[in-house]
Amino acid sequence: MSPSTDAIPDVCPELGVAVPVAAIDLELRKLWEQDDARTNASLMNLVVYSEKPGALIENSEIIRSLTRDHACRAILVGIDRTEPTPSLRAWITAHCHLADGRKSVCCEQIAFHLTGRVTGRFRNTVFAHLNSDLPLVFWWQGELSDILTESLVRVMDRFIIDSSAWVNPAASFAMIEEVSGSNPDLIIQDHAWTRSWQFRVGIAGLFDDPVALQALPYVQEVEIIHHSDHRNTALQVLAWLAVQAGWKIISSKGTIAFESSGGSAITVALHANPTSPPLSAVTIRAGTTQVQVTQKTGASHVERTLDAGPYHASSLSPIDPTISAELVAVQLARGGRNSLYQKILPAFRAMLEA
Amino acid sequence: MTTPNPFREDLVSRSRAESCSIVIFGATGDLTHRKLIPALYNVAVDGELPTGVKIIGFARRDKSDADFRSGLEELNRKVSRSGHDSEIWESFIQNVSYHTSEFSDPAGYRSLAEKLDAIDADHGGKGNRLFYIASAPEFFDEILVNLKNAGLNEAKPGCWARVIVEKPFGTDLATAKRLNEVVNDTFQERDTYRIDHYLGKETAQNLMVLRFANAIFEPLWNSKYISHIQITCSENLGMEGGRGGYYEKSGALRDMVQNHLLQLLSLVAMEPPTDLSADGVRDEKVKVIRSLRQWDTPEKVAQNVVRAQYTAGHVDGNPVPGYREEDRVSPQSNTEAYVAVRLLIDTWRWSGVPFYIRMGKRLPKRSTEISIHFKEAPCVLFNAISGGVPGSNVLVIRIQPDEGISLRMVSKIPGTSLRLEPVKMDFHYATSFGKGSPEAYERLLLDAVAGDATLFARRDEVEEAWRFIDHIERAWHQSPNPPPMAEFVAGSWGPKEADDLLHSDGNAWRRL
Repeated sequence: MSPSTDAIPDVCPELGVAVPVAAIDLELRKLWEQDDARTNASLMNLVVYSEKPGALIENSEIIRSLTRDHACRAILVGIDRTEPTPSLRAWITAHCHLADGRKSVCCEQIAFHLTGRVTGRFRNTVFAHLNSDLPLVFWWQGELSDILTESLVRVMDRFIIDSSAWVNPAASFAMIEEVSGSNPDLIIQDHAWTRSWQFRVGIAGLFDDPVALQALPYVQEVEIIHHSDHRNTALQVLAWLAVQAGWKIISSKGTIAFESSGGSAITVALHANPTSPPLSAVTIRAGTTQVQVTQKTGASHVERTLDAGPYHASSLSPIDPTISAELVAVQLARGGRNSLYQKILPAFRAMLEA
Repeated sequence: MTTPNPFREDLVSRSRAESCSIVIFGATGDLTHRKLIPALYNVAVDGELPTGVKIIGFARRDKSDADFRSGLEELNRKVSRSGHDSEIWESFIQNVSYHTSEFSDPAGYRSLAEKLDAIDADHGGKGNRLFYIASAPEFFDEILVNLKNAGLNEAKPGCWARVIVEKPFGTDLATAKRLNEVVNDTFQERDTYRIDHYLGKETAQNLMVLRFANAIFEPLWNSKYISHIQITCSENLGMEGGRGGYYEKSGALRDMVQNHLLQLLSLVAMEPPTDLSADGVRDEKVKVIRSLRQWDTPEKVAQNVVRAQYTAGHVDGNPVPGYREEDRVSPQSNTEAYVAVRLLIDTWRWSGVPFYIRMGKRLPKRSTEISIHFKEAPCVLFNAISGGVPGSNVLVIRIQPDEGISLRMVSKIPGTSLRLEPVKMDFHYATSFGKGSPEAYERLLLDAVAGDATLFARRDEVEEAWRFIDHIERAWHQSPNPPPMAEFVAGSWGPKEADDLLHSDGNAWRRL
């Protein structure tokens, strides 16, 4: 798909009908009047921001799917920073879903395409079209840029990112820290963290067993196998284990190790595998006790196992989603303050800089 | 003191479900096949069933593990909320086994104890146990006594042993007290979970959130602003599938009002609890039931309670028989298939506010809802307008189906003249949250495994509810001049006498 504004026609099946920016509200009202939609549902403003060429149309498809479970006013923003001439175009449409055989639940979508110098125009455009009183969930796709400013972050309630997609995650987290100072209530949701949910729930569940819990003070080794592109997810799991178990992080010359609260050394082994799922195995060993959560390539379930001598317990749980739209759906469904992520973030960032 | 699992922190905002052995008495019954096993399976699908949970079905019929599992699978494929995933099912079902024994046979409980000990041996001799009594009520006592005699009621050090008891919790106050004594002679009250699946429904749970997490409602939630409250549970079904046999012995009042509807009433009317602990909430709920004005004479019952049976009519366009012509129902039956009750709660908050509860079979549609009817605004400004102010504000909490909340308010009709019409703000769970809610049994089973009794009835709640119900039952069945049995045509909204009950207060049933 061409990044050029001209590449998107005025009537586009994915984005709807092009409308003058100043008349968006009026055109939306007309849309509802002419459509046979029954309910305009919205629980949030969901802004999806991308600087990737062709992202508007891809994101419109994602919103179509997402609105099945998460009613929202979607505002899609596509920016072409290579085109110097300033321009701003808008399209409106509604995503409707069948309920009880009727076209009954619809969510409106406004898509913007901007070119030229956009910082101020972008922010004002978004602010002007938010549904009042509803929270603002801002999904930033790809690398952060100078568009992310303090005044933009100040109005966000939830900021969705994927740190696995960043070339320099340490620098990007530093940038978020800098611009979010005036919004201490900002909830950050990282796809990299969400990708490890079932692994963390699995590990926590296995340590509910007294056999595993008794072995926790004696852990000697943590081993994680991860996909080559998902080192951040592995590091976040390590950070979580260390913070929750009270292990001290000892990093030197690119290696990571822990020291238990009793002072004994815990070795850490990270193995990258280009064909594995984001996380393929997390194994914690303490003597003859082994706690392990695994996901084989192509498997539809995660397996949790606990072995301690002759004792063996195992169970299955669902796998975590891998594609962005599903990750966002899970994050929106889970809600909450994501305080555990905030808690492990310093340890994770320390490991990034190791 | 057990060291807490540090990895649990903040992972889920609910009590932690712990690994245990679950023994289901009445394992060959419909409840086990249609509700309990599919609920546990769906909990497993969601990854919330703790690793190491073992499920043992206990029943009289001679069956192998394989036969038992195959029967469970057959029904799970039909009724499971999330569908049937063969891989998860295989992992789940390998932890399910069958134990054949008469409920009255002590040897069967001894061998059950040996089986549980063998499971516990794998956990270093420790193990939690949850006994679910899903059998017919006549076996409750026997099962509890035999559990005690086999020592199964005693938890091992550092572990727990809990019991879930299905309704009915007795058939009157005396039997409820006796059952409670047997239960409490076997298990401590804190380990006793009396299940009322209505409390596991999403909207019932949302009642407290609606009242106490929204600052706009609680200041209005009292006799100063509320005219009256209605709780309706209507069913379009009658006595299909042989239900008449059971219903003849219970009737609408004991089957639904004593438990489900009085539980909903207590959630609507209770004071804010001091905290969200199980006893914090239940302390406030029981005060409501205890404050119900007692209809303790036949005259008071006649004034405040209407009972009725349906006559032949049409439901959903199909002809249906009258109650007395239903399968397994006596032609001379004196059992009510419909009941409407006016209740008064003698507290400062609710003084003078009538609560109306109605429950009936063969009504036009299936629906359970609570409606809060606010007093009318002073009509000093708009009462001169043609048509006046059309009705007062009504807040409706729909429990099932189509869970949601709506608020009726009055608005001006667009135009040059000043005309007012009611409009409705409507919140549908299904519209706003596309994802379906878990089944009530999923939530309740997880709560029991986690030791959270908030959504279960406590002994005093059950007994206080029976105390209220018993007066009415006595007036109907033991007084020399019992209040009459009214009639209504199947498919209508109940008898005229029930309408009159509200008309005498200047109110009317909400049209559903």
